[in-house]
Amino acid sequence: MERNNHRRHQRQILPFSSSSSTSSGAASRGDFGAFRESDWRSRKQSTTRNNTQKPKLKLEAEGGEKEDGLSEIPALIGTCPFMCPEGERAQRERLRDLAVFERLHGNPGKTSPSLAVKKFCRTISAKEGQVSDIRPLPVLEETLSYLLTLLDTTNHSFEVLHDFIFDRTRSIRQDLSMQNIANKKAIYMYEEMVKFHIISHLKLRPHSKKSTTSSIHYLNMEQLTKALTSLYNLYDVNHEDSNSVHKNEAEFCSFYVLLHLDSRNQPAGESLALWFRCLPTSIIRSSEMCFARGVLRSFRLGNYKHFLSTIAAEASYLQYCILEPYVNQVRMFALSCINSVGYKLHPYPLTRLSNILIMKESDVELLCNACGLETCMDETGNKLLPTKQTSFTTPKDNQSYPVLGLEQFEREY
Amino acid sequence: MAYLSMGESHRRITDYLNRFADAINYQDGDSLARLFSVSSDSPFLLSLADALNVFQDANRLIKQSEKFSQFGEVVAPFFRSLQSYRLGNLVDAYGAFEKASNAFIQEFRNWESGWALEALYVIAYEIRVLAERADRELASNGKSPEKLKGAGSFLMKVFGVLAGKGPKRVGALYVTCQLFKIYFKLGTVNLCRSVIRSIETARIFDFEEFPTRDKVTYMYYTGRLEVLNENFPAADQKLSYALTHCCLSKEANIRMILKYLIPVKLSIGILPKKQLLENYDLVEYNNIVEALKRGDLRLLRSALQENEDQFLRSGVYLVLEKLELQVYQRLLKKIYIIQKQKDPSKAHQVKLEVIVKALKWLEIEMDLDEVECIVAILIYKNLMKGYFAHKSKVVVLSKQDPFPKLNGKPVAS
Repeated sequence: MERNNHRRHQRQILPFSSSSSTSSGAASRGDFGAFRESDWRSRKQSTTRNNTQKPKLKLEAEGGEKEDGLSEIPALIGTCPFMCPEGERAQRERLRDLAVFERLHGNPGKTSPSLAVKKFCRTISAKEGQVSDIRPLPVLEETLSYLLTLLDTTNHSFEVLHDFIFDRTRSIRQDLSMQNIANKKAIYMYEEMVKFHIISHLKLRPHSKKSTTSSIHYLNMEQLTKALTSLYNLYDVNHEDSNSVHKNEAEFCSFYVLLHLDSRNQPAGESLALWFRCLPTSIIRSSEMCFARGVLRSFRLGNYKHFLSTIAAEASYLQYCILEPYVNQVRMFALSCINSVGYKLHPYPLTRLSNILIMKESDVELLCNACGLETCMDETGNKLLPTKQTSFTTPKDNQSYPVLGLEQFEREY
Repeated sequence: MAYLSMGESHRRITDYLNRFADAINYQDGDSLARLFSVSSDSPFLLSLADALNVFQDANRLIKQSEKFSQFGEVVAPFFRSLQSYRLGNLVDAYGAFEKASNAFIQEFRNWESGWALEALYVIAYEIRVLAERADRELASNGKSPEKLKGAGSFLMKVFGVLAGKGPKRVGALYVTCQLFKIYFKLGTVNLCRSVIRSIETARIFDFEEFPTRDKVTYMYYTGRLEVLNENFPAADQKLSYALTHCCLSKEANIRMILKYLIPVKLSIGILPKKQLLENYDLVEYNNIVEALKRGDLRLLRSALQENEDQFLRSGVYLVLEKLELQVYQRLLKKIYIIQKQKDPSKAHQVKLEVIVKALKWLEIEMDLDEVECIVAILIYKNLMKGYFAHKSKVVVLSKQDPFPKLNGKPVAS
């Protein structure tokens, strides 16, 4: 590998894009397809997982040599030894374009190699795509672990932290895909980044007043689905044979199902029916996927009892992060259902609702009121929900109430 | 191979060239079509292939006379393709065939009438079939199968030639169907969308004017897409169209349509006759239909599990899973009928305890809360009329039409 032969690398950028991806639409991607964040994204389309014609794509960047018709295209290998290329660091110091986490002693015009992290840049022209600006795998690994430790150590608000990590991890993914790094280390890194976005999904859930959080929440979801799709393609290219499955693959596949429970809202654009078509049987039968499919079934049937009790009993923290918005949606459906089909002369006790909806009785009352339903009290002081109220409305704010027994999930991080 | 003389080889090649020139001069589309159908293994083309492999220098023959040389760009690569095909080199055969087809398209584009459509159909078909076989060859050599994707791009170009105004538009649907076959095989069904849009929004051409054969195939594939997108009324309409217009003698095609139409019909409450399932060897639906008739939840679940892989791969699993609500409805109805036989005056009051018992009898453990939840959903979704009295743990059914039929409408969401 000619590590220092920049010009040669630059010329090879284009073929690198179209044939390394063996994906659809390469031709329409334009010249800088290679620098798209996820070079593997569309690979699954051409190699459905259970396809017996599965190609053996090995995209090991370290070796530079790629098998199977790709050997003529050497992989780009970055040489930047720092979390942020020196040129960018100097420029951002000059422009005072430093995130709070990057400022040396709080100085907005001064940073250091151990603080500055390369920013995400949408399109990089061939001239800028120099190997000296691209970080090799070990540096990327270090950078990611540095970013993730910030989550535990900083005093800044989660929004500020998210803004920083969101951007810098995106740049990590860009460097990975520019060098076509698709090995197991890349899988691990993608898993960590997906986790970050899943946790953020819960932490950034839009509350009543702040309208900015809802757009951040949306952008986070966008990166979450993108990173997840790339991760699935990485799993695919690293499968040794059609039956092999990676350590965390089933868990990360279960996230896809949980993100797509609602057939009217499909963030990754591919319906579950389509997605299930090419999932290996071993994953379909895994315990993580059984959980997700059980949740899916009860969600689609409207079986609120089973939906909520399964989540309370079995959800992992990450699964809960994705499911949390549905939990309140399903609780409201349950209220609307019970309100409309219950016998008018039998007001429904809140203690029972509290059991079914797995939330504190006082929270049940708040939720009823938020949905425009009145509550009352019987002679012995028990609170009740009179049924057949016509005033049910879906509340505009998204106040959420903890699931009893899972309160610790709300406090993590 | 029997010995083949140079003279005989020469005769066969000029014979082909003469037929080719005649077909074009007399605008004889059917004859021209036969001259392109490599994979038909017709004795005529096979003997030509042998001749080409003996003679080796067919290009000289093509160039010899003006009559042949004007088609040189089509015929020369076609000869190479046929030679490679005969020798079992399918990747080469595909490559050369695409070249020949490309040259043919250039000519076809300039012809005003659609006389050569039959030939174009054969080319579109051959492109797909040769690409599939080339990919199999690539995969067996451990290489990345990419020809079928290339065939998709090529056919998009052909589609572009046909899709405009004029007499050739009638051929656009055939090419569309070949594209669908490719996209379904590759798992890139999202690519169908742009072609569908182009077919369905065109005001200048009435869909009914396309050949029936192509309309049936088109409706079959778009119906399957609607199933995958969980849009069942549209799926019903498209697949029903395919079924009613499909030629009765094409049993395999009818079976393929029914495979998707039956689950769609089940979801709107229409059950097939047992005879139909047997006639078309769709026995995988037997137990599901039986479960719906009997209200047997256990049978539904075991039938789903038994054929899980098949149903997931074909994309109908999620539709079938949702039938659970209709099975509950049937179970409640049976309990109601039995109670009516015992004591008509109390038949419309069903104790939740009785439902729990009936489920237990089916070896399904469900507590009172969940049964109450199921009852609430059935009433809420208008599969049952009445209300539940939670204090006495009883469902009170409406005296009039307590179990409304779906009558071809999906269960309310």
